[in-house]
Amino acid sequence: MRKIKLLLLFLTCTLLSFQGNSQDMTVTGKITDEQGEPIIGASVIVKGTTRGSITDLEGNFSLRASRGEVLEVSFIGYAAQELEVTGESLSVSLREDITNLEEVIISGLASTVKRSNLANSVASISGKELSETTNQQTMDAALYGKFKGVNITSNSGAPGGGISVKLRGITSINGSNEPLYIIDGVYLDNSAISGGLNTVSKASGGGNQSNQDNPTNRIADIDPEDIEFVEILKGASAAAMYGSRASGGVIIITTKRGTSGKPKINFSQTVGISKILKPLGVREWDATKVETHFGVDEVANFQAAKSAGKLYDYEQDLYGNTGSQRTSRITLSGGNESTGYFVGATVKKDQGIVPNTGYSKNAFRLNLDHKLSDRIKLTTSTNYVKSSADRGFFNNDNSGTTMGIAFVATPAWAELHPDENGNYPNNPYAASNFLQTANLVTNNESVSRLISGATLTANLMQRDKSNLQLMVRGGLDNYTLETRAIFPNTLQFQKDGNGTGGASIQGTTTSANTNLAAFLIHDYYASPALTFRTQLGTTAENFNRNNIIGTATFLNGSQTNLDQSGSVAVSQSRLLQNDRGIFFQEEVNYNDMIIGTAGVRADKSSNNGDPNKLYYYPKGSVAINLHQMTDLSSAGISQLKLRTAYGQAGNFAVFGDKWSSLNPINIDGSAGLVISNTIGNENIKPERQSELEFGFDAGVLENKVALDFTYYIKSVDDLLLRAEVPTSTGQTVKVVNAASLENKGIEIGLNLNLINTEDFRWSSRTSLWQNRGLITRLDIPSYTTGGFADFLGQFRIKEGHSPTEIIGVGPADQQDEDGLVIFGNAEPNFQMSFMNNLSFKGFEFTMLWHWKNGGKNINLSALLSDLSGTSPDYDRIDLDPDSALGNGDYRLSQLGANSGPYIENAGYLRMREAGLFYTIPQSVLGDTFDRIRVGFSGYNLINFFEYRSYDPEVSNFGGKGLSTGVEVTPFPSSKRFNFHLTATF
Amino acid sequence: MKALKYILLSGLVTFFSCEIEDIPDPNNPSAADIAANAKLSDLQLLVSGTESLLRSEMGFYYDVLNIVGREQYFFTNSDPRYTGEILGKGASSLDNAGFYGTRPYAGRYIVVKNAHILIDAVNNTAESITAQEKNGYTGFAKTVQAYSLLLVLNMQYDNGIRVETYDPENLGPFLDYNGALTSISSLLDEAYGELNNAGDAFLFDLSSGFAGFDNPQNFAEFNRAIKARVALYSGDKAGALAALNNSFMDLGGDLNNGPQHFYSEAGTDLSNPLFRTRNASEALVAHPSYMADIRPSDKRRNKVSRRNNTAVLDGLSSDFDVDLFASPSSNIPIIRNEELILIYAEANIGTNNNEAVAALNIIRNAYGMPDYFGMPADDAVTNELLYNRRYSLFGEAHRWIDLRRHGKLDTLPLDRTDDDVWEKFPRPESEVGVQGG
Repeated sequence: MRKIKLLLLFLTCTLLSFQGNSQDMTVTGKITDEQGEPIIGASVIVKGTTRGSITDLEGNFSLRASRGEVLEVSFIGYAAQELEVTGESLSVSLREDITNLEEVIISGLASTVKRSNLANSVASISGKELSETTNQQTMDAALYGKFKGVNITSNSGAPGGGISVKLRGITSINGSNEPLYIIDGVYLDNSAISGGLNTVSKASGGGNQSNQDNPTNRIADIDPEDIEFVEILKGASAAAMYGSRASGGVIIITTKRGTSGKPKINFSQTVGISKILKPLGVREWDATKVETHFGVDEVANFQAAKSAGKLYDYEQDLYGNTGSQRTSRITLSGGNESTGYFVGATVKKDQGIVPNTGYSKNAFRLNLDHKLSDRIKLTTSTNYVKSSADRGFFNNDNSGTTMGIAFVATPAWAELHPDENGNYPNNPYAASNFLQTANLVTNNESVSRLISGATLTANLMQRDKSNLQLMVRGGLDNYTLETRAIFPNTLQFQKDGNGTGGASIQGTTTSANTNLAAFLIHDYYASPALTFRTQLGTTAENFNRNNIIGTATFLNGSQTNLDQSGSVAVSQSRLLQNDRGIFFQEEVNYNDMIIGTAGVRADKSSNNGDPNKLYYYPKGSVAINLHQMTDLSSAGISQLKLRTAYGQAGNFAVFGDKWSSLNPINIDGSAGLVISNTIGNENIKPERQSELEFGFDAGVLENKVALDFTYYIKSVDDLLLRAEVPTSTGQTVKVVNAASLENKGIEIGLNLNLINTEDFRWSSRTSLWQNRGLITRLDIPSYTTGGFADFLGQFRIKEGHSPTEIIGVGPADQQDEDGLVIFGNAEPNFQMSFMNNLSFKGFEFTMLWHWKNGGKNINLSALLSDLSGTSPDYDRIDLDPDSALGNGDYRLSQLGANSGPYIENAGYLRMREAGLFYTIPQSVLGDTFDRIRVGFSGYNLINFFEYRSYDPEVSNFGGKGLSTGVEVTPFPSSKRFNFHLTATF
Repeated sequence: MKALKYILLSGLVTFFSCEIEDIPDPNNPSAADIAANAKLSDLQLLVSGTESLLRSEMGFYYDVLNIVGREQYFFTNSDPRYTGEILGKGASSLDNAGFYGTRPYAGRYIVVKNAHILIDAVNNTAESITAQEKNGYTGFAKTVQAYSLLLVLNMQYDNGIRVETYDPENLGPFLDYNGALTSISSLLDEAYGELNNAGDAFLFDLSSGFAGFDNPQNFAEFNRAIKARVALYSGDKAGALAALNNSFMDLGGDLNNGPQHFYSEAGTDLSNPLFRTRNASEALVAHPSYMADIRPSDKRRNKVSRRNNTAVLDGLSSDFDVDLFASPSSNIPIIRNEELILIYAEANIGTNNNEAVAALNIIRNAYGMPDYFGMPADDAVTNELLYNRRYSLFGEAHRWIDLRRHGKLDTLPLDRTDDDVWEKFPRPESEVGVQGG
């Protein structure tokens, strides 16, 4: 797999054809790995010049050089080496770079840099680590726990994903915290588009008016198995060149490409199952408890059900499905000297743990590279995805209809099972019979998406000391999302005058985003020791989205077409945005000892108050390789780099915040216009983030042990707030740039590669990271947000406090000047991940542990089940300080007076991934197969947490803003087991 | 080669320096544009929008006032506050950010705001409309503003409210309860004057909820009905009687006559937020005292219906569903002739108790009860009045206000130890500490 690494090829192809005129001989050689296998596509460059070559199928190279010059040999995944030209023949074996100190990083928009010369802490992992340990359902799920400084939380366990990604803490309060995703140079749309379920759930009718549909983030469409490499630029110091969209960081994805050689076919098949992560159990009932919670009349019903053996475990009925999982994938790659190709196809079908939920995806990729001439190269990527997610009906509502809300309201003696004719009885304890809901409701998102990009690289001018390249890149991301929510009129909550006599809610969203960029890259080799690289580029991104949702009610019988109904309503919303940017960057490298970079980007956007006002984002960084200056090997130190970087980046206002609009409304067949809740701000400007980071990278024992440390200070000014205005204005919020916040944190990584023999190898990566946020300036009064009400726990935005601080009501002696009590912080104390890879002969064992220490959630599932007396821990006594009341009674006794009992520790320790694989020896295989690998793997297999619900990773409000960690009866998380078979031939 | 470099450089810069066009809001018209330069059709849109907004958050207003006035419970698994804070359960108290206070508040002030936009649009329009026609628009706008402010005041009570809110940067002061009532009264009078000089017909249409109240003359009668309610709340009985005189009160007429909030299940229209099916598990039920206290022959017992099973939640229970509306398309009355007759009765107590009793007998007889034969003293007649207001206006958010203005909130039943009867809702958090709040 490692031999198909392409990043470097990409870099060096541009240098390939240079023919010098002052070299006195042809040097040839062979590059191999430690096992003596040839490395194809490794780069060999004469240091300080533009002369270079890449190795062929046999690992051979040939180039012109003179005695005394130094060759740099590198290939991704291997430690780079330098050697002096002493004769006409040179051979090198490269050592695998498990510690990742030597890999090549895409640091800027158009250029790459060796990690050893990088002044930023850029997190990166290979496709192998991303998706080879276990079968990943979606791209987002594959990222968990693998990057330091990255906080990824899933919003629920619903099939098809839905995550929130925060890089180095909160960077925006109302704007997006989500990073920018770029795949092969194409800007990816990562919207989460609501399916309009609010019509039925009425979730926005109560305390919080946000959409709680829990839609998928569209990044989930990307097939994780297509990915060669993922890099994360965590803040402005690394991402400044991406300007106004980079405040949340940038995630750069590079997909697999073909390399010259005979066609290689890779087939893999995965089958598995998914089960609920952690069943909570149900409360044990007796007559006294029944009378207390449901009244004396219910006791007879309970006794009757009990003697008939009809006390049901509804958790098992609703969440107990064993979902089948299967993924088939075939890839073909190869090429010749001028053309490389990679073709991949994936067919995936996963079932969820709730009946009738699941995820399926069919994806196809074609990546083509072609050298048009010695000087011009074209690379193209095309990806077509068709995916479909059935996500069930969960989360908050104000109609008692979601499966989760109805489930917690229903006691064990309720009879919800269908009769012999398939008719479901009404649930007397809730507005819906959730077994019926699970069986009859459709909540489907399906996507048809085409992502396509092309890059043309041309060497315009080359001299021995300098070289000028032009790179032109275009990309398009086009999709149609269809959401389909069908609530038949036979449902308890849609029949007999309830609800709306059935509802068919069908949405179509088309999104067409394009990006175009051109760069000039000039390299100047002033001397073998001193090189300059100058870049100038402009970028243009255009976004165009159109969302139309039709809602039909009073359905004609079992019909679901919008026109087969008594009433239809339509809504439409469009999003249009044009951005333009220009940037300049200068990089100076003195003998790989000191590497300095400075640059600036200027951006304008139709989203700003003034669309043609330029916003400037500067950056600068220095890396010092001490080991290049003096020999530290006597101290056992093979590499020691000090680095510091500073940069700025922006974050746009939410589309539409510029305007005070009149919204459409209807009364008795007449249209009307009504003022919107938001007072627009025509002077709105982007949020501005400044980040300073410094740290060191050290390698000892020939880089068998690598340690890196980073400290960062990231401050965000002009934070966009939806400042509350006095409600008597008739509107509720005004968008203002009115606050600043600061994140400080550390990231530590320790990579060990201590045992590396032919038969036995062990490597591990340990990461530790911590972030602390603080509101440093607030021009408006402090306020609470992100939940339902203060007494149920909310977040508070207050100067001098953390933006993720959770407050509530509580005893008078604990109240602060706002009359509120601080109960904790959603932000964890620290996080740690531990990746281990052991191989012995043909066996390979990998596991990834993830520990999140601390951080609190607001658990309103517990509240809702307490109110119905159904909490599994209702009778257990471990909360009441007086040890008198059961947990349920205790929590309820505090409701309204003390929010504490529902604000819980959401820390966890979990084995995210584990895999055991066996590669069948070549001797057994014969000639047909190159490689056959079989194995077992698991996802979320082992979990430790004290949180009193299905999973501490949860968000009722999706990934928006601050609102992670609020739980209201979500789709429970699952664990998965898989069997794998991979054959290469 | 150098030339090539410069050509490319200038190419890049040129590409970048193209102007970005300012994109207007692709989804909605701009409020400022319409206020400054409205077409006649825009004025109609603003009128319809304003009428539609009269319904905004009204479900919360009714539910919350009916619960706090111990007329109803709302049992839902989705939100604990209906049986918690609103009833003062345990140590809980009302939250100044709680939806039960903030959303009805916002729902009323958005009417005021939209009506301000309408008034601006009418005053600024380039369309040729006469002063009389303009009076029609502004008379409508100010009447609904006054009505909306009254509902805010009902919840805020002696916290007082802002009446002047035209300029969001310079909001008017909070007026105390009586001051606010006086200002609302003046606004109604101003509107009344305009409606009386608005010709024979409005230049705009209202929904069928205002059937019979859709020209300047009969809309003015609605204006006076609200005026009578305001005068009664101010203790100005003479003023109430004078207003009733010009209102649509008809002692012999249909008790249900009056303008209504229009509801429909069609398209994007709103359906009646108070409608519930019988026996629903998410139940809007009558407070047990409703049936406990009702007199044997009183037909107003038909406003509730017996459930198949007792509704139980959070230590509360009821056997009766609230059964006021036939369907989700049923309109909700804004003010009914029945209330006007009751205002008439109340305004006569102390000066003409015979007339008061005569008015009460109209109500009693309508519900199957004989004429009043109790004591003619003020207290006794007042008690009879309050009984009839309780049952006649059940579910219309009156009982809590009535008991408060008669100093009888302490007569409301407390269902659980430590429950509370609130006197008012807290001033919303958004108003605290800003612009004089």
